[in-house]
Amino acid sequence: MSALTLKLKHSLSQRLDMSPFTPAHLAGKKVGEIASIPLWLGNRRVDAAELFAIDGKVTDQIVIQSESDRLDGIGAGMTSGKIMIEGKAGAYLGCGMRDGTIQVSGNVGVAAGCAMQGGHLEIAGNAGDFLGGAITGERQGMRGGIIILKGDAGDRAGDLMRRGTILIGGNCGDYCVSRMVAGTMVVLGQCGEQAGMAMRRGTLILTRPPVSMPATFNDNGRHHLNFLTLLIQSFKDQPPFSNLAERGNQVHRWLGDLSCGGQGEILICY
Amino acid sequence: MLSKLTGGKLYDPANGINGDTRDIYIRDGKIVDPPADSEIVHRTYSLDGKIVMAGAIDMHTHIGGGKVNIARTMLPEDQRGSARPKTDLTRSGGGHAIPSTLAAGYRYAEMGYTSCFEPAVLPANARQAHMEMADTPMIDTGGYAMLGNDDLLLQLISEGAEQQTLNDYVAWTLHAAQCIGIKVVNPGGINAFKFNQRALDVDDSHPHYRITPRDIVRTLSRALSELGVPHPLHVHASNLGVPGNYLSTLATMEAAEGFPIHLTHIQFHSYGAEGDQKFSSCAAEIAEAVNNQSNISIDVGQVMFGQTVTISGDTMAQHANHNHAHPNKWTCMDIECDAGCGVVPFRYRDKNFVNALQWAIGLELFLMVDDPWRIFLTTDHPNGAPFTSYPHLIRLLMDRGFRNDLMGQIHPEASAATHLGSLEREYSLYEIAIMTRAAPARILGLSDRGHLAPGALADIAVYHQHENPERMFERPMLVFKQGEVVVEEGRITQPVKGATQVVRPEYDKRIEKLIERRFERYHSIGLHNFVISDDEMAEGIGSQVNIHACKGSRT
Repeated sequence: MSALTLKLKHSLSQRLDMSPFTPAHLAGKKVGEIASIPLWLGNRRVDAAELFAIDGKVTDQIVIQSESDRLDGIGAGMTSGKIMIEGKAGAYLGCGMRDGTIQVSGNVGVAAGCAMQGGHLEIAGNAGDFLGGAITGERQGMRGGIIILKGDAGDRAGDLMRRGTILIGGNCGDYCVSRMVAGTMVVLGQCGEQAGMAMRRGTLILTRPPVSMPATFNDNGRHHLNFLTLLIQSFKDQPPFSNLAERGNQVHRWLGDLSCGGQGEILICY
Repeated sequence: MLSKLTGGKLYDPANGINGDTRDIYIRDGKIVDPPADSEIVHRTYSLDGKIVMAGAIDMHTHIGGGKVNIARTMLPEDQRGSARPKTDLTRSGGGHAIPSTLAAGYRYAEMGYTSCFEPAVLPANARQAHMEMADTPMIDTGGYAMLGNDDLLLQLISEGAEQQTLNDYVAWTLHAAQCIGIKVVNPGGINAFKFNQRALDVDDSHPHYRITPRDIVRTLSRALSELGVPHPLHVHASNLGVPGNYLSTLATMEAAEGFPIHLTHIQFHSYGAEGDQKFSSCAAEIAEAVNNQSNISIDVGQVMFGQTVTISGDTMAQHANHNHAHPNKWTCMDIECDAGCGVVPFRYRDKNFVNALQWAIGLELFLMVDDPWRIFLTTDHPNGAPFTSYPHLIRLLMDRGFRNDLMGQIHPEASAATHLGSLEREYSLYEIAIMTRAAPARILGLSDRGHLAPGALADIAVYHQHENPERMFERPMLVFKQGEVVVEEGRITQPVKGATQVVRPEYDKRIEKLIERRFERYHSIGLHNFVISDDEMAEGIGSQVNIHACKGSRT
């Protein structure tokens, strides 16, 4: 029994809205019906079959094969099942997803996991800006679930994040966890300028100091934090994040951003 | 080309036609006399007993200007939540409480509306307001310029300037801002807010200029009357939303000293402070005052339950209400030191005592004011509810059983506190046609619309007869805009552009020297960049100007 497979036939001249392809939305449909689902390509509507070779059976799994970075909104609002992307994804991957799993083998565009409320988003490549951020104009970003990024993140990862976990294996751009309301983010690589800008609460765990922090962060000294043992234990199936356990639970703690209440923390593990 | 609408039942109160079956002939966008028998009729619409009315006119709806755009950007979820996809004919839009320009124009036309008026055009923001209205398809538009909180007017009044000088300034403002009327919002109160005053009743003195709202209302209503501007002063009275404010409203009526004034969204100004909750209905007192004073007209600003957003120039009232913001985000700001602006999203709940009573007070006013020529059907879109709720509101007015059923669902203490259940009045189609067509055209001085006599623009709405008025009014069978069919069965069939309606009272040009000096000293732009010319309207902004006549003095 093979999962439903959508293979992009040719490169795209415009951006394509993929939000209709969620397991819940396709459930109970025949392959023929899926072929005629209208999709917005730029400002035109085209049938799915014009763009994709569609194969396999409708299950709660969808496989998307694409080397284009223009497939936007894959898994947006998804509530169940699994989407596997063999190749790249565009902007707004898993935007507002509530449950289920998305796995991507390549790079993804901006605002991946934005406004995510639950579920599991795994990216093997790099991500664009605003990973786990907010929909433009909204006041809250990611509100639940977990994002696991093996590669590098762009600027402003975790912007306006409210709850949930983001694990970043590579480096992170500037303004990491800017305006964070709450939640947890781990970066194993190097963080850019002004990490924690306008952070209200929440935790950013790093393995080395960021390039810079706002002047409104205060040095809180070195601490042994036992909760780290528990937190890192919860990553035990997630190498390389599970390796953090080797560093023990001693951290250098910085508190900020004092311009916004100052209850956030940046923990640097040594 | 000559078209004929035959067999329709006409409701044309301006010409005293009440449900008679008559034919209408249209040529070159206008209604014409029946032609000679020899003439060929190119197109005949056989209407066979359908209801025919002039295109509806909304005389108070916030569809353009700075604060509307602030509300749109503040509520992206409102745009996302009700998207309107593009079709072959229409462009995409969105929004429920605060629709985009395109969505607003299309939806108005789909309900049979052909002209809409933005009541709060700040002269400093008039360019933006006209641009947004020009971008609103399907309907003719116009605006009321806001005065009464600008420092020049307040200073002139406080210095005891002659009425003639003030008249010239008012007339100049109408020209410069390309408007059809003048509105005053919380007279003097927005300005007093900037001097840290948090309330200003009708006879309270302004902390700096030492004049009262009463002085401002009297001066402006007199100015418009003497200039012959058809639309009386459009007044958003003092103390909006404050329990016990009906006294301020009655005092504002008195302040006009017999000059015509229009009190807008009066539902928000008809509150008493009786009862356990210190909030009660004074609709009866207000209705009695309106019934007894023929110089007064009102529109209701009916509240409907559900999510909306309140947008107002009344910084003082909006600042006082910001704790009720739902969702919890709001803004109040000053605009070019000329007036203010407050945007507070709000959800009216039927199980909330105050909201439920607000709903009942609006309906009480509709049913207790006798003369439908002086009361207009509005929700103060979007402050009381989005304009899309008009068909529902019409049903509430026309169907007592429906009204009483809904009364059973609201907060029980509110339904006990209102006389609504005992009011037996049901509006007729004729009265609805007065409130939504004939009367707004008359009070705005639009002789070319709101009626179906030869000479009028062929802006016509044709409705299916239906026992449920909500079904009837939400989906017209046909809508004509200047003789062209633009809507069929509630769907746009031909997108068109509207024009801007203005008045141009005469004034003494010497006033411009005084205004120019003030601009040079205090303003951020020069006078010549401030004034909007006809050329700019036509080319830059993209809306032709229709000039309506002013009357001789109406003393």
